[in-house]
Amino acid sequence: MSAIAKPVERLIEAFSRLPGVGPKTASRFTFFLLRGSDNLSVELAEALQQLHTDVVTCQQCYNIADESPCAICGDSLRDATTICVVEEPLDVVALERTHAYHGLYHVLHGAISPADNIFPDDLRIRELVRRLEAAPVEELILATNPNLEGEATAAYIQRQLAGKKVRVTRLARGLPVGGDLEYADALTLSRALAERQTA
Amino acid sequence: MQLVHLTLYNFRNYARLDVDLPAGAILLQGANGQGKSNLLEAVYYLATTRSPYTSVDQQLLSWMVVDEEMPFVRLEGRMRREDGRHKLEITLIQKPANNGGTARLRKELRVDGLKRRAIDYLGSLNVVLFRPEDIDLIGQGPSLRRRYLDITLSQIDPRYRSDLSRYNQTITQRNALLRQLQETGGDPDQLAFWDETLVTVGSYLILRRLQTITRLDELVATLHPSLTGGIERLRLVFVPRVDLDHLGEGQNVAQLPLRFDPQFAQTFALPSLGLEEIAERFQRQLYERRSLDLIRGVTSVGPHRDDLRFLVDGVDMTAFGSRGQQRTAALSLKLAEVAFMREETGESPLLLLDDVMSELDERRRACVTGIIGEQEQVIVTTTDLADFPAGFPAGGALWQVEEGRISEVSRLE
Repeated sequence: MSAIAKPVERLIEAFSRLPGVGPKTASRFTFFLLRGSDNLSVELAEALQQLHTDVVTCQQCYNIADESPCAICGDSLRDATTICVVEEPLDVVALERTHAYHGLYHVLHGAISPADNIFPDDLRIRELVRRLEAAPVEELILATNPNLEGEATAAYIQRQLAGKKVRVTRLARGLPVGGDLEYADALTLSRALAERQTA
Repeated sequence: MQLVHLTLYNFRNYARLDVDLPAGAILLQGANGQGKSNLLEAVYYLATTRSPYTSVDQQLLSWMVVDEEMPFVRLEGRMRREDGRHKLEITLIQKPANNGGTARLRKELRVDGLKRRAIDYLGSLNVVLFRPEDIDLIGQGPSLRRRYLDITLSQIDPRYRSDLSRYNQTITQRNALLRQLQETGGDPDQLAFWDETLVTVGSYLILRRLQTITRLDELVATLHPSLTGGIERLRLVFVPRVDLDHLGEGQNVAQLPLRFDPQFAQTFALPSLGLEEIAERFQRQLYERRSLDLIRGVTSVGPHRDDLRFLVDGVDMTAFGSRGQQRTAALSLKLAEVAFMREETGESPLLLLDDVMSELDERRRACVTGIIGEQEQVIVTTTDLADFPAGFPAGGALWQVEEGRISEVSRLE
């Protein structure tokens, strides 16, 4: 017999399955919703329901979107001759915040990591190659993460495109803007030094 | 370099320790189980962020606090180096168990108050530790000897640390890919990136191990005879798993003969290859063995399979050394490491000798006493002061350890 009402227990259990949420935080969330007015609970319930019914994957760039093609792919003002390849939808958000990029995107949904059972076929790499065959672009920017898995993914894509007439570039690696040189770690600093540019 | 002050909270049997450390020799005397080795372990941990005794950091928590809500361990060291004074801090906080999982320790490293990743923290304080268990370094399997080389080189070479961590990640990924290709087939060209990374970072590991062992071999050539009264000649032999063209006709890198004739040992004076020459050989052999690796599902060639062997007068100590011989060889190695680190960094590492005198004969004790006297800073533990000559340590400190408390005693002659 449980000391707590079933629906409450069920919600606590569900919350605590979220990343970064433990049983204590889950209980706090649950009792906050229970004690508060209905509004937030209803809003949450609707938002959760729409999350799966109203979100689609753009069939061109594979970003998550309201419709396919997504707002970016459908924007005729954007430069369709450049595609930027990223690992996750959140990377698109980060790049869009810069307001410095006006081309299109391609979202892979992960990076190659055999140890985690993620292989090229699990990512949207074939779709990328097909997309380039259907509508050739001038430049492909590989913006995968600068870690081992991101580099493996970039290297794999580069090999798939060997012989194709497209300029493939990689994001520069180096010092963060506004950072102090003396606090930079050795690896970042040595890369920044190796990839230095003419002032 | 010198550790000038050490503070411990809840470390093993030290609920709280706050102590100034003088330069020169510090002799720690106490009965078994009072906390002598724990103090050396704390200093070693502060330098390497690892315990020599356990890979489970939870064990470092004092048993007096394990039942508290959020128990923690804290180590603080103030040290002096050529470039000035620095403060090192390591904090381990135990987070409560989550979702029925096990409790986890969060480790935080700081240098001069700034948070550091392990890879950037290492090398701040350099130590060389000798403990009775080091006999296993000679007598047990090659993984212990690789670990020894890795810890030594990680302390003094930032590139070695980052290349080592990248190498280990790459091996894991490559092996997982090999198994996938073996089970479901697929394009073996997927291996290209991992192979290239393996060669790039792995060749540096091989190069540094080769240089280090070559130098340590030269250093033990003078150290070991003085420990043994000139009776034994000790050689350190690097056994790389990548064939560096150092073997004679009909010899196989995988099979090291148990007895070397002197001429064979000569061929082990490995060629002084550069990084590119090593990389070229590694790459070729990795490629040659690819089909075999695909069948076995593991990477068969590379520094993760290297070994280091100890020969006394041509006899392999791992297979045939007596306990005494293995122990003395381990001690020679550690003493050579002190000199090696000093050459590499321009600073003397802090030497930690745990129960070094037990099982040593009169001659070896006299030799060790002499070496202790030459160190910039050394902490030595013993149960019995009679193991040391009267008046030892001259100009140093004598500390009594009892139930996790340290008191300084003046020595009665």
